[in-house]
Amino acid sequence: MFGYLCKRIVYIAFTVAVMSVLVFWITQVLPGNVAHTILGDFAKPEDVAMLEHKLGLDQPVHTQYLRWAGSLLRGDLGQSLVMNRPVASVLWDAVGRSAMLAALSFAMVTVFGIWLGIAAGIRHGRWTDRIISTATYVKLSVPEFFWAILLLMLFSGYLGWLPATGYSSPDEGIAQWLRHLVLPSVTLALGLIAHVSRLTRSSVIDVMQSPYIRAARARGVPEGRLVRRHALRNALLPTVTVLAIDIGVLMGGVVVAETIFSYPGLGRLLIQSIQQADIPMVQAAMMVVTFVYAAANLLADVLYAFLNPRIRYGGAAGH
Amino acid sequence: MTKTTTKAFSPAAAVRYLLPAWVAATVWLGAPGTALAARDDVVATINSNVNNFYPAAGTTGEDYNAGNLMFNGLVRITQDLKLEPELATAWKSNADASEWTFQLRRGVKFHNGADFTAADVVHTFKLLGDPALASRARSTADMIKTIETPDDYTVKFVLKEPYGAWPDMMIERQLKIVPASVPLAELRVKPVGTGPFMFDSYTPGDKLVLKKNPNYWEKGLPKLARVTLRIMPEDAAKIAALSSGDVDILWNVPLESLQEIKAKRAITVDSIPAGTWDGFVLNNQAKPFDDVRVRQAMLKAIDKRVLVQVALFGEGAPTHTPIPANHPYFARNIGFAPDVAGAKRLLAAAGYPNGFKITLSVPVGRPTRERAAVALQQMLKNVGITVALERVPYSRWGATIAGKAPFYMDGYLPRPTPDTATYPWYHSTGSWNQQMWHFSSPRIDQTLEAARRTPDPAQQRDLYIRFQEEALQEVPGVVMYSINFATAFRANLQGFHTHPYTWLDLRTAYFP
Repeated sequence: MFGYLCKRIVYIAFTVAVMSVLVFWITQVLPGNVAHTILGDFAKPEDVAMLEHKLGLDQPVHTQYLRWAGSLLRGDLGQSLVMNRPVASVLWDAVGRSAMLAALSFAMVTVFGIWLGIAAGIRHGRWTDRIISTATYVKLSVPEFFWAILLLMLFSGYLGWLPATGYSSPDEGIAQWLRHLVLPSVTLALGLIAHVSRLTRSSVIDVMQSPYIRAARARGVPEGRLVRRHALRNALLPTVTVLAIDIGVLMGGVVVAETIFSYPGLGRLLIQSIQQADIPMVQAAMMVVTFVYAAANLLADVLYAFLNPRIRYGGAAGH
Repeated sequence: MTKTTTKAFSPAAAVRYLLPAWVAATVWLGAPGTALAARDDVVATINSNVNNFYPAAGTTGEDYNAGNLMFNGLVRITQDLKLEPELATAWKSNADASEWTFQLRRGVKFHNGADFTAADVVHTFKLLGDPALASRARSTADMIKTIETPDDYTVKFVLKEPYGAWPDMMIERQLKIVPASVPLAELRVKPVGTGPFMFDSYTPGDKLVLKKNPNYWEKGLPKLARVTLRIMPEDAAKIAALSSGDVDILWNVPLESLQEIKAKRAITVDSIPAGTWDGFVLNNQAKPFDDVRVRQAMLKAIDKRVLVQVALFGEGAPTHTPIPANHPYFARNIGFAPDVAGAKRLLAAAGYPNGFKITLSVPVGRPTRERAAVALQQMLKNVGITVALERVPYSRWGATIAGKAPFYMDGYLPRPTPDTATYPWYHSTGSWNQQMWHFSSPRIDQTLEAARRTPDPAQQRDLYIRFQEEALQEVPGVVMYSINFATAFRANLQGFHTHPYTWLDLRTAYFP
């Protein structure tokens, strides 16, 4: 297991390194000129050149990359070009707020996704199954932003129960904090609930039709125990791994929800920074997303290996 | 026992477990925490982050809003565009308007408790003139030869050249008085001014919170204890937040949403003329715009009244130059009727009997200019000019289009005086002119110089009306219209109006 873990970590580190080159390259070709962004439309060419020199933008690209990657490894994220403050302070605040949102969504996805999946799976082909399956189809085929706007109109516009937008920090009151989180986190969770429940349903159906379950049923094992003792453990194996991967998906999915609900998290910060050509901020935010994705995948691999011994000893076949 | 597992996943269980949870959550979260007592705070939206707390470094409407709530200038401009004493109580000039003496208000304190004196005014202008700080208003500091302080409450500006509108300059957004007692680095993160509200906290991407200045010099003001500026770029979200009561004031209402918001109950929409304008830039040094007849033809081909309807949904007014239609110096005697036949004749005379093809660059994400560009394309088609539209993202605008493309659409914010609104664009040495249309006309230069020198308002008015006539004959570029500025707010908010200079003036605002 330890050897396997090391292998995965090396692989992930390599992925992050490749991504860092990509992120750097993408921000190089983004339209917009940093010096112009700072100095305004009609900056004199000599002023632009001076500032570019000061920012090291006149160096060859590989030198710039190495310097950037070096300071990244030292934990120095640089200075935002637009906000006149360090990238780190703004970024970690936003990451923290997105993490709250993602955590709440994750809890919903886990509970409702698995619950709906099992409910449909053990009633395969009956009304409950049909209703849940149709609902998940509808949820999956309609884009996130549509649900967001629907929720917004209903709960905030029409009923007036929940705030339409924004954020309230936990120290301003837990209820107030949660009220601001409900709509964006539900939006974020809907698509993934559908995804997780469909997966759970199909693996429950598979397992329930497997020979060992049929044998157990023939032996007269009660249905309840059959599901609890024999089926679920195996049926939930793929679900657990998908949930781990979904942590990364959630971090990427915050963009839409945060933009619609004006929630000041990482996704919205990334969009705003791209619009304003705030390169250091864009780079740092993209690296955070990359890292979360990579870590979520690592977690999924490790969990799967832990739950399914055949994977981790795959190399030891023949013993 | 054996049935429990399957039961736990039954529809009945869903109702049994979820319903109480739903009800509990609704009771706990659903009741908005609004007290019945009179509110003493207000929440307003702004579109983007406040990036500069040091007023002289301000570049955006958001920066100016924050600056205006926390700082004062020597002079301020009222709702009806009149000058009013702020940190200065009175001012006078010598005969040729080259020396201006301001009496300062006594007993004013900065937020940190320091007394406001002439030393702070000197400090403010010294910073403003520092090239390293690159303030957009540095040109104002460059007009000053020396500043004298005969005593703690008198400041005398000795100018390099006579300037009749010097007091008007003092309302500029960047010319807020900053304390000599606070280092600039500190001021950039925790602003200290003399204004009605004091800095409380700032979360980029989320909100700026200000609290009442208990020692504010205007008796009984401000009436609010707290002001929160919420950063909300998304129009749909802003409108939803206003409807649901999350926010009280929507600053800078998008014109395309005005009708929708006007239809809402309990919301007041206040849309007023402002000096913001859109226009299209013609590079006078590039073909075909180096021929004045082509430029005149472009002007004759367009119907500015239609542009106002299409681009602004009627929320604005056509204008000849940056002097807006509601200004006393506006030339009301000149009409806006297009003349297609005349435009064609002029083009033929200039050697383009069949018109020509040209590309018009338009910034993406500036909806008024995007709509105006499409309408302009149609209008120019009528006189034989084929326009290809090129949409350019704003992040690339400064580097590739502004001051570089031969033909583009752009927009500009109001300036404090007729002089500052026109001279930089129309005088041959003007900073914007040299970047944009590269135009030179000795007679317009003379008119603008004379207008700037005279302290007599009647004479000034005549000169500016003459300038507008000349500008329409020589057509350096085309100013299409001035745009209304609108705010929308809760109908029960008292003492608040949209300010023509677009910033939020919340001194007298309160909820009954």
